[in-house]
Amino acid sequence: MNYHKYSSKSGFSFSYVMLALVIVFLFIPLFVVVFFSFNSARGMQWDHASLIWYKRLIFESPSLWSAFRNSLIIALTSSVTATVLGSLAAIGIKWYRFHGRSYITTVSYLPMVLPEVIIGISMLIFFSAVKVRLGMFTIFAAHTTFNLPFVFMMVSARLDEFDYSTVEAARDLGANERQTLTKVIIPTIIPAVLSGFLMCITMSLEDFVITFFVSGPGSGTLPLYVYSMIRYGVSPVINALSFVMILGTMVIAFIFRKFLKTVAASS
Amino acid sequence: MKKTLKPREREQLLGTMYGGPMGLWFTLFFTVPLGIIILYSFMKRGLYGGVEWEFTLDAYRQMFNPSFAMVVVRTLWISVLSTFLCILIAIPCGYAMAKSKHQTFLLFLIIIPFWTNSLIRIYAWISILSTEGFINSLLMRIGLIDSGLKLIYNNGAVVLVLIYMYLPFAILPLFTTIDKFDFSLLDAARDLGATKLGAIVKVMFPNIRSGLSTAFIFTFIPIFGAYTVPLLVGGKDSTMIGNIIVDQVSKTRNWPLASAFSMILTLISLVGVFWMLYNGKREQMQKGSKKTTQQALEHNIKAHHSLRGTK
Amino acid sequence: MKRFVKVFWVFLVCILVLSSTACKRKSSENGKLYLYNWTYYTPDNLVAKFEEETGIDVIIDNFASNEEMFAKVMAGGNKGYDILFPSSDYTQIMIKLGLLAELDHEKLPNLSHIAPLIREKATYDPHFSYAVPYFMGSSGIAVNTERVEGAYERSWAIFSDPRFAGRMSLLDDMREVMGAALKHLGFEGNTTDEEELTMAAELINKSWKPNIVKFDSESFGKAFSRGEFVVVHAYPENVFAELPSENWPSIDFFIPAEGGMMYIDNMVIPVGADNIENAHTFINFIHNPENYALFLDAFGFPPTTNTGAAQYMKNTDFFFSVEDLAHSDNIQDLGPDLEIYNQLWQTVRYEH
Repeated sequence: MNYHKYSSKSGFSFSYVMLALVIVFLFIPLFVVVFFSFNSARGMQWDHASLIWYKRLIFESPSLWSAFRNSLIIALTSSVTATVLGSLAAIGIKWYRFHGRSYITTVSYLPMVLPEVIIGISMLIFFSAVKVRLGMFTIFAAHTTFNLPFVFMMVSARLDEFDYSTVEAARDLGANERQTLTKVIIPTIIPAVLSGFLMCITMSLEDFVITFFVSGPGSGTLPLYVYSMIRYGVSPVINALSFVMILGTMVIAFIFRKFLKTVAASS
Repeated sequence: MKKTLKPREREQLLGTMYGGPMGLWFTLFFTVPLGIIILYSFMKRGLYGGVEWEFTLDAYRQMFNPSFAMVVVRTLWISVLSTFLCILIAIPCGYAMAKSKHQTFLLFLIIIPFWTNSLIRIYAWISILSTEGFINSLLMRIGLIDSGLKLIYNNGAVVLVLIYMYLPFAILPLFTTIDKFDFSLLDAARDLGATKLGAIVKVMFPNIRSGLSTAFIFTFIPIFGAYTVPLLVGGKDSTMIGNIIVDQVSKTRNWPLASAFSMILTLISLVGVFWMLYNGKREQMQKGSKKTTQQALEHNIKAHHSLRGTK
Repeated sequence: MKRFVKVFWVFLVCILVLSSTACKRKSSENGKLYLYNWTYYTPDNLVAKFEEETGIDVIIDNFASNEEMFAKVMAGGNKGYDILFPSSDYTQIMIKLGLLAELDHEKLPNLSHIAPLIREKATYDPHFSYAVPYFMGSSGIAVNTERVEGAYERSWAIFSDPRFAGRMSLLDDMREVMGAALKHLGFEGNTTDEEELTMAAELINKSWKPNIVKFDSESFGKAFSRGEFVVVHAYPENVFAELPSENWPSIDFFIPAEGGMMYIDNMVIPVGADNIENAHTFINFIHNPENYALFLDAFGFPPTTNTGAAQYMKNTDFFFSVEDLAHSDNIQDLGPDLEIYNQLWQTVRYEH
């Protein structure tokens, strides 16, 4: 039968060519950066292969490492906070009707779509109005805010597929609220929670625009450091750093390969 | 203690316990800051930043001037064009991914560049597009051109890099919805005499509307508020609204004007979000009963036939 | 499912271990010192020497423009940093707003090495009661002589030269560019005369802008080193830092004869700083001529600011000399009159 063209999974077609081209397109810049990270010369002219920029990166860039440390601390703390708050809220909103429910649902979409510039500026103005000292805390607060919606959405999507009668059954069997939460609900939503956490970590490590506005004394993160390198400074170290970061991303994505579909579904 | 609570009260209590912390967080760090922005946009500017507590519409009056109007128009056409191209490219990609056996691997390939630091990717594009960069040296080596083409520091470069940055935002939601689409419907349409493309447009598109609207919102709004891309790869006439907002805060020290522009961007985003939510709900309702889908399909096919009949 | 959870924990532990190893900072015996300086303006070797000599742990953040620094300081309730490095106009503003702590000159004996010319130019604080000069310098024009054919005018008029159209950039800085145009037309660089300013904006819009590719304060040095731009309105150190020193002879950097906009970057202590004692130690350390020579050598700066430093310098080939600044104007705060500049600058930057 010639009919089952669409449900069959084979064939060479326009869409496959397009996809292949797009993947090449997406990877070209990464290859270029990696290629030049092994160039011994400073500029765009290829000289000969060398690891000099990696040496510089590892041994001669103390401020880079302290920026990296800040980035990790903020990524971890904000992701954990966002994951806990977001998951709990998803459970609450899915199963209970209470005052403020629709407010929370609506407002939780917004930080995800609003341009980063707006979130950054509104937070800068807010912190300056209430006289909070800019620094690690303000970055943490900002990152948690833009991370929360992703956890909330992923966990909500997972809960949509979950049958509430299981919870009722657990209650009928005498489980209290805490037991229901830890024995029934959490095991079910854990894949979504983990993907949410993962998404938070990567977004937090990546964010530049919002961090740019709310950073303060001694709280510069890695993207801020990269930005100052793009402007001036020893350029090729940035290529070496990029390769290390790309490798890191690949490792994270590989560890969590089972969750990639959940990640895709929510972004 | 708990047993004395009525079910309604119990629900209220539990719901607040679970949802309250996040609600509080958003109120403090999102709603209140936005509120302050609204407030500031109606204040008199402070000479050295900040505001003076005096009501005025100055900021909104300042917005209506030909310089800013040009930037708004430019921002609009750049974002509409980039979004349109993103979605146009993303549809076949999402389709191919949904039909592939290697979905995880393909997702991996799409997500890697997407998760790589955005500044590093912009930086890479600068080295690719510059006059003596990757593309120009390649073309010169082949002998196609004698001197470097001017590929960077213009609006074309801005559009290209914006598409690059936001393409995954369009591909991922489209992939997710197309993946859930029942491909046998397309076979049915073909059986009824639709062409291949016709079947896709008439049968598949209405069923992936939520994916399309999500893709649209997630590319259009961030592009509309773009800041780093026009700053780093744009030329003398590539300023976008995002740049104006940042300039007003960090250069001109006109916080009310920055707030007023932020208000406009926020309003546009809000409209977009509600439209997206509305589309999502509508699709869910349609999916609610098989019959409706069936009817929609029949309706579409009929319409298609009648269209062909009149030709 | 168990496996995912296990993988997750391994991942978490990895991150924790990584972050704690990255945490291994040297302990600070004598407290800390938070600096907020321009990007690429605090040489690493100088900071290392200071840390070694004093046992004070230095933490540096960078900014790209006075405005950025000022916005942060205002927003942060003026707390957190011990020394800021504003240019003269912002020093003036911060003094006026009472944001700066008065300096204790008994702790700063090395101020005696500061050049007399600066006392003349630093009209906002001639006795250094609040601000000690860090460096007096100027923007100018850098030309890549290898890629430019024929003679060119060593003045601001070079931006009107159609031969270089599409290969030039101006700074994305209102005061610098407007000031350059004003000086070229023979006006004062801090004028608030509307007619003069309109003429300046017109010069930029009609004659300069058609020839330039970009208003760029971010990466003009990199673009210049790649050959993308052959004539740039620039701060010399950013241009020279991007090129290996064997290429330096091919760069012609000059401050136009008609004068340009110069600056004095200062070291100031904000009111309420936590480490005022350490801040004084640092300021005094910088103006020790031997240390100051290290700073100058790191960037190839001429000894405009600290006269004692010259004898300790290795470098004798400077980007410019003090005499070049003779006709330049120091950027001053203009208060509410700055709005006239803003309006005109909008037409330059946003219209086409």
